[in-house]
This record gives sequence, structure tokens and C-alpha cells, in this order.
Amino acid sequence: MKLIKKQIPFAIVFVFGMLTLVSYYVPHPKSVAFLDTVSQWENIVSSFAFLLGLFSLFYTHYAKIKKKGDGWGYSLFVFVGFLAVVVPAIVSHGRQMSGSEMTPLGWSFRYIYNTLLATMFAVLAFYIVSTAYRSFRIKSVQAMVLFVAALILILGRVPIGEILWGKALGWTGHSLSGLMNWIVDVPSVAGKRGIMIGIAVGAVVTSLKIVFGIERQYLGKD
Amino acid sequence: MLKKTLELLFNIDRRWLFLLLALSIFIPIVRPLGLPNKNISADVRHVYEKMNSLPPGSFILLSLDYDPSTRPELHPQAMALVRQAFERNLRVGVVTFIPGSTGLIDEVFSTLSKQYNKVYGKDYVIFPYEPNIVAVLTQMASNLYGIYDKDKYGNEAASLPVMKGITNYKDMGLVVDVTGTSSIDIWVQYAGDKYNVPLAAGVTAISQPSYGPYLQTGQLKGLIGGMKGAADYETLLNAPGKGTSGIDALNLAHILVVVLIVFSNLGLFLVKYL
Repeated sequence: MKLIKKQIPFAIVFVFGMLTLVSYYVPHPKSVAFLDTVSQWENIVSSFAFLLGLFSLFYTHYAKIKKKGDGWGYSLFVFVGFLAVVVPAIVSHGRQMSGSEMTPLGWSFRYIYNTLLATMFAVLAFYIVSTAYRSFRIKSVQAMVLFVAALILILGRVPIGEILWGKALGWTGHSLSGLMNWIVDVPSVAGKRGIMIGIAVGAVVTSLKIVFGIERQYLGKD
Repeated sequence: MLKKTLELLFNIDRRWLFLLLALSIFIPIVRPLGLPNKNISADVRHVYEKMNSLPPGSFILLSLDYDPSTRPELHPQAMALVRQAFERNLRVGVVTFIPGSTGLIDEVFSTLSKQYNKVYGKDYVIFPYEPNIVAVLTQMASNLYGIYDKDKYGNEAASLPVMKGITNYKDMGLVVDVTGTSSIDIWVQYAGDKYNVPLAAGVTAISQPSYGPYLQTGQLKGLIGGMKGAADYETLLNAPGKGTSGIDALNLAHILVVVLIVFSNLGLFLVKYL
């Protein structure tokens, strides 16, 4: 049992991990061909992951409906939403337009998917405004610095900001876009670059730990 | 008296603020203010100039990875890029790694292909959605037909006139990733850096500052950021679209946020010391 659950998966990870790593740096036709094949496999496996996710989603919501758990009515919409997209997709053979005519899939995309996603994202704007009014409290020097930087960036992103700045603070000789660019190009980039380097080093270490079998959590508990 | 009024204002029903925001967005859409967009971002200009420097017939690859949630910012960017490509007679290939973007891609090309008399298969091609971006970008480095053997409509991709002479990144004049995700990092790592592919991008305003390091090192040739970026691009093209018309609403909504923050902090200060 240990052979199937632990040793074979570890051997697969080690062999493919090492080969892929080496192939990245070796531009030999064989390593290129290997990378091509592995990429195709990876793409196919990713597609199966969708199927697995779908079954898992359906099972969870089906169980909730069966038990009539909290908010079970919302779970019904998982199935309604699924059918509202998948049935038109099958009927329309995956095409959203047929000549200049909109197919059922096109209709479902434009009037269900498009509308729902756009609405969900648009609602965020209202929360941001409400939060801006209630939560952006300047209680310390750090909060003040954050506010000034945010103010410059918010105003710098829109033409009216430059107009207002010109009228109020044009006498300083500094333009709003100049200040905004400095914030973005110097302190912001410095911070972001530090984060990127940290993430990259962390990713390399984690990958090596997985390839060499030091990190084995992905194999499961037993 | 003032203290009481301020305290009352702090307990205002949030729906009044929602109404204010809704008005600040709706009014300029119904009655545009027409404020001039004079400050064109240098990063946007670089994308525009890079596209303009390509000789007619060059192949550009657009990775359009956005869905309706980021449509207001990214769709005008995609429209402007395709418009410029068609105006300059560039060949356009489109890939996507977001399933929700397929309908938006259709919308871009069904509108602009008619306007510029462009023919599918000859002037542009749309490849189907693929789920794994890393695998696809790795594969495209050697032979893109290994992944995209067929186009979105099931035609043999290699036999399409638009794909003549195109095998991998080396044959492409420019790759532009218009995205609401973090796919730019992957494009930089797996295509731009390794194969020296000229890469540019279009992103939402909120993620724009994150890409400063790539711009400074030249890993990105240019960047279009948010609706302002789209408006800048439309200004450069002299073709006002949704980016330009949305900028007024953006103006007022941004000002409203700033005013609310300043007002609430001033109020808090007064309440504390009155």
C-alpha cells in the first residue's frame, strides 16, 4: 500500500520535476520535445481537474439541498446557472454567433453571465465609497502618509485631478502626474520588487522541497 | 451644535452615500462633462508606438484574459488595440485563458472586422480557450500548432492564410496581454524573458502599480492601465470610445471618494476637539 500511495507518486514527482527543471535550461531538440509532450499532458490533466471540481461542487450543493441546510435555496441556483449555460452551449455547438444572429449560447452569455458578473463587480464600488467615508481614519503619521499617497494616486488617475491640482497647487511648480509617477516608480516599485523577490525565492525553495520529497503534504495524510 | 450635526452625519444611512455615488456615475454618462484628457501616460504611449513601429503584415498575438467583471476597463483597451492593428494592416491572433472572455472576444471582432473589412482566417484568427496557461506558453515557444492545431471554429490553424510563416514566438512582432488576472507574470517568465518576445500589457487600474518593476527593466514594453489608459489610447488613435466616455464618470466618482475621506477625517478631528 505504501508503494502505491507514497513511493510511486514520489518517484513520478521526482523524475518529472528533475527532467522539467533540466529541460528548461537545455535547448536540445530532445528536451524541447519532452517539454512539448509534458505541456500537452499538463493541459489535458488541467481539463480533467475542471470535471473533478464540477462533481465536487455538485455533490456539496446536492447534499446541502437534501439536508435542507442553511441557505439551501441558493444551492439550487448552482444547478440552474449550470444548466442555463451548458444547455445553450450544447444546442449552439459552442458558438455564440451564427452569421449575424446570436445563438442561444450568445444570448445566455450576454444576458445572464455578462449581466450577473458585471452587477457583482459594480456593487463593489458602493462598498468602497461607504468604506472610504467610515473607515479611512487618519489616526497616526503612517496613516497620514498612506492617505497623502492614496490622494495623489486617486487624483492622478483622472483628468479632473490634474485640473484641480493646477488651480490649487500649480504655484508649487510640481505637476500631479510627476508626483504620481514618483510614488509609483520609486517607493511602490521598491516595495513590489522586494515582494516579488521574496515570492520567487519561496517558490524555488518550495518546489525543490517537493521535488526532493522533503515536503510531502500533497500526498495526503495516510 | 456643530458637534451634534457632525455626529449625526457619521451615523448617516449608508444608502445616502450609495445614492450619491450612483448619481456621480449616472449624471456624467447621461450628460458628459467633456473634460479634456491631456496627460497621456508614457507607458500607454510606448504600447501605441511599439504597435505603430511594426511593418504592415506583421503578426501580433493578443492574449485577452478578462471577463465581464473587468469589462468596463479592459474591453475598451482591447477594442483600441485591435482597431490600431486593423488600421495598420497587422495580422492578429487571439488566445485566452479565461473561459468567460470568449463572448467578449467575439464582440470585439464582430464589431471591428465589419468596420475595417477584415476577413476571418486571412486577417485575424481566434484560438479556443485553453485551461493551463503555463503549459500553453511553454508549448508555443517551439510550435504553437502543438497546442492550437485547430482554431476556435475547428479549422486547421496551420492552413489559415493569417498564420502563414508563424510557428512560434520568434515570428511574432508583439504580444499584448490584456488581463484582469496575474497572467502577465507568467507571460514575462515563460515567453518574454526566455524567448525575448516583445511584450506589452493592459491591466485594471487597481493592479497597474504592481507592474512597475517590469516596466523599469524593459520586460514590458508598455502598459495600458484601467479606463484612463483606455481613454489615453483612444486619444492617441483619435477614436473616442467607451474609455473616453467613461472617464467623466470616473472623474466624479474619484472626486467623491476623496471628498468623503477628507470630510470624514475633518469631522472626526472637530468632534474630538470641540
